[in-house]
Amino acid sequence: MPPSNPLPPKENALFKRILRCYEHKQYKNGLKFAKQILSNPKFAEHGETLAMKGLTLNCLGRKEEAYDYVRRGLRNDLKSPVCWHVYGLLQRSDKKYDEAIKCYRNALKWEKENIQILRDLSLLQIQMRDLEGYKDTRYQLFMLRPTQRASWIGFAMSYHLLGDYEMANSILDAFRTNQMKGPYDYEHSELLLYQNMVLAESGQYERALQHLQKFQSQILDKLSIKETSGEYYLKLRRFKEAEAVYEDLLKRNPENLSKAEDIEAFFDVYKKEYPKAIAPRRLQLNEAHDPLVFEKLVDQYLRQGLHKGVPPLFVDLRTLYKDQSKADTIEKLILQYIENLKKHDRFSSDTEEDKSPASALLWAYYFAAQHFDHKKDTDRALQYIDAAIEHTPTLIELFIVKGKIYKHAGDPVEAYKLLEEAQAMDTADRYVNSKCARYMLRAGHLKRAEEMCAKFTREGVPATENLNEMQCMWFQTEAAAAYQRLQQWGEALKKAHEVDRHFSEIMEDQFDFHSYCMRKMTLRSYVGLLRLEDVLRSHPFYFRCARVAIQVYLRLYTHPLQDVPQTTEPDTG
Amino acid sequence: MNIRCARPSDLMNMQHCNLLCLPENYQMKYYFYHGLSWPQLSYVAEDEKGHIVGYVLAKMEEDGEDNRHGHITSLAVKRSHRRLGLAQKLMNQASLAMVECFQAKYVSLHVRKSNRAALNLYTNSLGFKILEIEPKYYADGEDAFSMMRDLSAFAAENKTDGDNLEIKSESAIVSQC
Repeated sequence: MPPSNPLPPKENALFKRILRCYEHKQYKNGLKFAKQILSNPKFAEHGETLAMKGLTLNCLGRKEEAYDYVRRGLRNDLKSPVCWHVYGLLQRSDKKYDEAIKCYRNALKWEKENIQILRDLSLLQIQMRDLEGYKDTRYQLFMLRPTQRASWIGFAMSYHLLGDYEMANSILDAFRTNQMKGPYDYEHSELLLYQNMVLAESGQYERALQHLQKFQSQILDKLSIKETSGEYYLKLRRFKEAEAVYEDLLKRNPENLSKAEDIEAFFDVYKKEYPKAIAPRRLQLNEAHDPLVFEKLVDQYLRQGLHKGVPPLFVDLRTLYKDQSKADTIEKLILQYIENLKKHDRFSSDTEEDKSPASALLWAYYFAAQHFDHKKDTDRALQYIDAAIEHTPTLIELFIVKGKIYKHAGDPVEAYKLLEEAQAMDTADRYVNSKCARYMLRAGHLKRAEEMCAKFTREGVPATENLNEMQCMWFQTEAAAAYQRLQQWGEALKKAHEVDRHFSEIMEDQFDFHSYCMRKMTLRSYVGLLRLEDVLRSHPFYFRCARVAIQVYLRLYTHPLQDVPQTTEPDTG
Repeated sequence: MNIRCARPSDLMNMQHCNLLCLPENYQMKYYFYHGLSWPQLSYVAEDEKGHIVGYVLAKMEEDGEDNRHGHITSLAVKRSHRRLGLAQKLMNQASLAMVECFQAKYVSLHVRKSNRAALNLYTNSLGFKILEIEPKYYADGEDAFSMMRDLSAFAAENKTDGDNLEIKSESAIVSQC
């Protein structure tokens, strides 16, 4: 490019060295060369050098000076694409993306075909979801560099994201036939699956299916082939073929039934073939509508779980409780078990039956406690959990459940004390630690909760600082709500804003992946990332913190703060 | 409980599960890095409501063609969902994908010397061998066992089966637990 304000050869060489130093992060040297140019009174106001000096200063953390120099440079040379590009880069580093886009556009006015600026612009456009602008820029990049892989991919993707599936598919097809000449590696495989995704999203399942079948042998991700073809068969209502695919999928992973609900014929077969796989047997309980059938199945399921001692048995079955008659059946059975196990160590009164291990009664008590807690029958829940603790006083799970019963009954203080007991029994388990800290927050004991968390955070830094650094949002959300309940408005807002900042950071995290994924060809996941980021702030953590912040701000508006000391934490009693 | 390959939209909830369960934590970007570099390798276990109760976060170590191997960055199952065999199932699915998609020869991991439950799972249920002790591997000064599991049995099975994805239940690949 012809510089709009050319330097003589010696100074021009120095200027090139500034650029090189910037690229190689040798900022100190860059400043030295800039000084050499600028100290000559003839070039003291040379725009591009001033701009580069500013950009270099920015990398050294001297932001204010950076802006001064870059703006001064630009004022001295408004027709320089370099100055505009540099101003854009500066704004970008400050996350002022809209401003940066304007700068890049100005730079391109003076130099239409600068690849670097076009690339930088395209990254900002996709980050800001300016999809039309992205398409235009990707088109230009494609025309300027038709041999580069990224040109094709970006070009196709820009159409895909705008919903022009036909165009996206044609570009990918042309790219595949012209540019991808074996060996059929992982990247090739990912590209084919991406193309397949484009076809499927256009709603042409027949075509997507044929595409998948045609290229099957070149695709390494066998699981994706099966999963997507299964989906297509279902959409096309070709159930026999779908069934065969899902049968294969279940063999591969008997615990994934997300689709098998549509196909009922499997259950008996899979119970036999995979006696230890839990998912198919569990799913059957959802599907059993006849009370007698349900009772028979759940009886088996419960006995097996209690016999083996599966602590999550209740958690696993809880969703069945939506159906009152199913809940009643479970209650009837579990009370029978307890009755019989107490009397003669068997689940039933049948004396032929093998004796159960002593722990079966414990797990039955444990189940019953959770069952009655679920029914909000606190007295009976406590009665069973106490029986369990008497049976085995060393089992941590029992104290956790007892704490939960108190929590549900509206006694957060007793609840956290029980969790404290549980935590003391296994101090190496962070799960119990986290749960205990959460209960402390519910009871309004923020200091204690922080101290509890500190057992697992880095030494030498306050726990809250480390939790913030690690984006530990469950803690920050709970703390925000706890401070709000204690009417410590400032602290509540502080926590809510910490969470908000995490979400901004996570939006920011995308940036590097725009170019990274095109190199890696993991385009399906990349599109998944874009779609996640589009709705990122619908995440429950964000929602909860936003609600706290809104409520606090409204409260502060209607009741402006007076100069009174803030409420302290409740007595630890 | 359902076990499936992780999607980008699972990654935040995996981070949450990690922070609840384990002392080694990572910022979101590191989860994105895994999910967007090797999307086939990470798996989640979810409950009936779709909440994540366990996960395995895995990657490939790409130091040379001859030494292609997978690495388990993090594996956790909530205490409330233990003894369902979830960890083992998660690990087996991830390992199979390492072989299929990236021709991994083995998979490696680190485990705290004091973590007996995990050590037991790796050695007895999954066939990992201790390779060496890495002194002071963890931030708090604890030593790690560096472990590996040979995946050539997976690979052999994979080749002979060709397009057939079937894994026999008695095979070393997916042993029911």
